[in-house]
Amino acid sequence: MSIERKKADDIVKGFKKRRTATLQWNFLIPVAVLSLLVLTAIFAPWLAPYPPTQTSLTERLAPPSFMEGGNPAYFLGTDTLGRDILSRVIFGARVSLSVSLLVILITASVGTLIGIIAGYTGGRIDAILMRITDISLSFPAILIALLLAVILGPSFGTVVLALSLFGWAGYARLVRGESLRLRQADFVSQARITGSSSMRIMTRHIFPNVINPLIVISTLQIGMVILAESALSYLGAGIPPTTPSWGAMVSDGRNFIDVAWWISFFPGVAIGLVVLSGNFLGDWLRDKLDPRLRQL
Amino acid sequence: MSNNIILQVEDLHTAFFTRKAVIRAVDGVSFFVREGETLGIVGESGCGKTVTGLSLMRLLPEPSGRIIGGKIIFDGRNLVELDKQQMRAYRGKMISMILQDPMTSLNPVYTIGDQISESVKLHQGLPDDMVEKEVISALRLLKIPAPEQRLNDYPFQLSGGMRQRVVGAIAMSCHPRLLIADEPTTALDATIQAQYIALFKDIQQKTNVGIIFITHDFGVVANMCQRVAVMYAGKIVETAPTSVIFKAPRHPYTAALINSVPRLDRSKDDRLDSIEGQPPSMANLPPGCRFAPRCTVVQDICRKQEPPEVKVGDEHSVSCWRVN
Repeated sequence: MSIERKKADDIVKGFKKRRTATLQWNFLIPVAVLSLLVLTAIFAPWLAPYPPTQTSLTERLAPPSFMEGGNPAYFLGTDTLGRDILSRVIFGARVSLSVSLLVILITASVGTLIGIIAGYTGGRIDAILMRITDISLSFPAILIALLLAVILGPSFGTVVLALSLFGWAGYARLVRGESLRLRQADFVSQARITGSSSMRIMTRHIFPNVINPLIVISTLQIGMVILAESALSYLGAGIPPTTPSWGAMVSDGRNFIDVAWWISFFPGVAIGLVVLSGNFLGDWLRDKLDPRLRQL
Repeated sequence: MSNNIILQVEDLHTAFFTRKAVIRAVDGVSFFVREGETLGIVGESGCGKTVTGLSLMRLLPEPSGRIIGGKIIFDGRNLVELDKQQMRAYRGKMISMILQDPMTSLNPVYTIGDQISESVKLHQGLPDDMVEKEVISALRLLKIPAPEQRLNDYPFQLSGGMRQRVVGAIAMSCHPRLLIADEPTTALDATIQAQYIALFKDIQQKTNVGIIFITHDFGVVANMCQRVAVMYAGKIVETAPTSVIFKAPRHPYTAALINSVPRLDRSKDDRLDSIEGQPPSMANLPPGCRFAPRCTVVQDICRKQEPPEVKVGDEHSVSCWRVN
């Protein structure tokens, strides 16, 4: 056997081994992290050592138990009111995850619908829909959210509504651009040749081809939405302060970052984990959905 | 080949309305196609061949493209008068079309089985197991090897020639009576091209489908078509049976086109003829005969008045002042 032949064989063998060994990790880790967080959110009352709102003023600003001077009763320490950080992070998962999931679901659906209709139909309908999108993009979202909070009162529903009201425009822009390109594609002409209706072309031919960018944007949006929610909470227009949310916790600790970094740090870690897992999952999904990469 | 005319186009006018100009891409075109016959439409790029094909399908790019006159009689009905929904029932089922580029005319996210069955399901309303049978028989008709396995392939897994066969299978899946093939072999290399043409001759014999073959390649015409229509700047300048047009072209443009094709019976020192100049801008046509500025035998009248169509033989007609 020639040396080159052996080299080539080794590469093939290595590829086969790597394929079976590594294929699943970039899927398993983010899924494990995300499902753990979802389970945490669901079973929060059983998992948390304390109720999230229980204050204990004698234990204010206690550092995490594994640090010097830490109280073993509070694993991740306490905040300015002596509330247990661990319990609040666990309960905060409920608000943060449900808000971001709901907002992404709403904005992605609405944005995709508008984007496909605008891009595929073109002409006057496109012009009208895109002007609405532009208006939505040019409004100061936080201001409107504050206004909404004033009118409707700060609540879970208000936050979701406020974030959805402006989030869809980005999706609409993206999907419209893709649809515009796809409308010219020969396979769309081919579908028209076989007698497909516009409705059918939009759902069967355009939509599956915009899923990839949609997923990428959506997974990136997880982080954006959690941060936007925290901004609203910070301004007092978000979830009412007694309900813990990660974003609100991060901003709560902002003034104490030099003396009690753990107040902001641990919810920050939770946000980071979700965002990172979301991105990894998005990457994996995109590869999975692209038939060209499916073979590897 | 029967004598049964399935498509009769009468004085078709198609125009594109743009902000700058109105472009009359098809300007009074008439022809017919019989069952089981192939009509070739030949001409340079931009002469209106493709627009003619798209007009027949009523698939002009909206809203700029519109049919502004004429009749398209298919199976006794004028397609120009049908509304959108009625027209959809014809597309794919009665009239089908093959596009030029097989690399882009299949949807990358669906298997070829899915793509062929789409049209079958749309038009025939069969139960699922029957659909699969139809799909496989369409793949067989196009001589795609191992059709059962190919069903689950994605377009990117196939070669260009194989993709074009899949496109053909989609077009033929509902047993259309008329097939418009818009340069289906242009993107293929010469051997695959020859195979594809042989394949379509075979399919035509089996199904008796009428074919309109749009091409700029006279070699393909000689191989495939019974009759030819030569288009120049939106008009048909000459129609004739294929054998006649090669032997005795009457229009100077047809003659020049045929002389610019390499042939085995010409001496190899002989240079190929070319046609001087460029086709006229469709937005700014010369008065009189459109070919006059490039014609070698041009007369005074050619520059002033458009020549009428004159019948010069059996199914042979020409629009040229020289013929009178």
